[in-house]
Amino acid sequence: MASPGQPDERSPSRPRPVLDGLSRAYWESAGRGELAIQRCEECGHYQHPPRPLCERCASADFGYPAVSGRGVVHSFTTNHQRNVAGFEQAVPYVNLIVELEEQPQLYLLSDLPADEADWVAIGAPVEVAFELIKAAEGEAIALPQFRPAGRG
Amino acid sequence: MWEARGKTAVAGIGFSQLTRTHERPLGQLAIEACRAAIADAGIEPSQIDGLATHPDQPFRGAGNRAGEDLVPAAFLIDHLDIGPEVEWYAQVSAGLIPSAIIEALNALLAGACTYALVWRAMHRPAGTYGAWREPFAGGDSQFTAPYGYTSPFQLHAVAYQRYMHRYGATREEMASLVTNSRANAQRNEAAFFNGTPMSVDDYLAARMISEPICLFDCDIPVEGCAALVLTTAERARDLPRPPAYVAAWGQHTAPRPTYVNYMLDDYMACGASTAGKLWSRSGLGPGDVDAAQLYDGFSPSTYYWLEAAGFCPEGEAHSFVQDGRVALDGELPVNTFGGSLSEGRLHGMGHIAEAARQVSGRAGLRQVEGAEVSVALDGSPLLRGGALLFTREA
Repeated sequence: MASPGQPDERSPSRPRPVLDGLSRAYWESAGRGELAIQRCEECGHYQHPPRPLCERCASADFGYPAVSGRGVVHSFTTNHQRNVAGFEQAVPYVNLIVELEEQPQLYLLSDLPADEADWVAIGAPVEVAFELIKAAEGEAIALPQFRPAGRG
Repeated sequence: MWEARGKTAVAGIGFSQLTRTHERPLGQLAIEACRAAIADAGIEPSQIDGLATHPDQPFRGAGNRAGEDLVPAAFLIDHLDIGPEVEWYAQVSAGLIPSAIIEALNALLAGACTYALVWRAMHRPAGTYGAWREPFAGGDSQFTAPYGYTSPFQLHAVAYQRYMHRYGATREEMASLVTNSRANAQRNEAAFFNGTPMSVDDYLAARMISEPICLFDCDIPVEGCAALVLTTAERARDLPRPPAYVAAWGQHTAPRPTYVNYMLDDYMACGASTAGKLWSRSGLGPGDVDAAQLYDGFSPSTYYWLEAAGFCPEGEAHSFVQDGRVALDGELPVNTFGGSLSEGRLHGMGHIAEAARQVSGRAGLRQVEGAEVSVALDGSPLLRGGALLFTREA
């Protein structure tokens, strides 16, 4: 799996995640170059964002195993509105909704500049890559992103 | 069948001015709409003994000053001449305004009040609103805001993109729906876009917000209020206006399949759950509806409702809205008042008021001839949302 990669230069002040008890494992794994998704220890159901109870069996017993990082583009949009702090200089940019291969309807987000999105289409295979963004404490956080599968 | 079918009714309807300026505070507009609804019902303010609203504003960063940012029940108790006679009120935080109406209907059926006033006051602050301005994102937002993905129009864009891909829908087809609503607004003097027609070319030339959502796929935010007086069918029959009888109401209760976002499948599941209750409670079906008021905070929601409520097969709404089928003289007139797209964003209250008007023969220049049944399906459709079915006869 890819290791935490390039610093983010196009939207250096994008909103930074505030880690909490449910999300810490996700972000810490990303920092090690792994995509880890909350998974119920009782029934094996994956869910994202992490939640206090399993949405399938109501268990509160979770693991955060690394997943393949592979998926497909479920949908996407090209944004033209300067509506998010830190993205003022980034428009137009594309958001991807990625469906992970581990489970139907298990979705994660990604973004990329519109002029690098010529490959984007519903169903396009993607794989995770990590982008370094500024963190709350001044350290870097690795933000999972998705790029075309098989391009290294 | 619901045993209370036809036992409650809309007896009065009132609107304030719908405006994008801020000459008067929202509280004054709400008082204007409520007084108009009470006068329309032919009763005195002192006869209002029940109140219900959904006061929240549907955008990030909304303030909470009563009379300016929102209009809660306490504000109207203070400012309408209804004083200490109020027996009951409800202020709901989920389910949009239909849930407040449902509370009022149930209170009437339980004998907890005799005339219930329900209002929806919408604030439009000056400048850009709803934007994400914070440098940090916690909770579920930590998985979306760092990607620049925070706004309702983005959620709608990805669902609509998926819809277009799955069913081969085009923006040209959507132009038919949006311009039909704008044409209807020319027959609604209260509509914000009354006097401002729109052509298909205007629609297609509009700037993109989040592709494939363009400016004219988004409703027009306004400052304003709409209000209803509800009462029992027995009382309504003695009032001056023809009643709009409540044949059924519905809320969404389907489990939500996805979480990071609302997806096309969520919209369809929510819509089917909500609309299905109308048909089972009333004994009526989509084929009985003479005019359909289908939520259009963003235009694709109207497609989802058309399909989820059974007006057309799944995947076919984009072709159903062609060839004048949803026009005032068409097979199924849709958003006869202009919708939120052209009347203004009353967050579903405009749809409910119009459904009541159509079955009571009070829709003026846009009256669908002989309308016996009209439906208001409110919400994206999402977890939050609800529906009301009105009939001319109890």
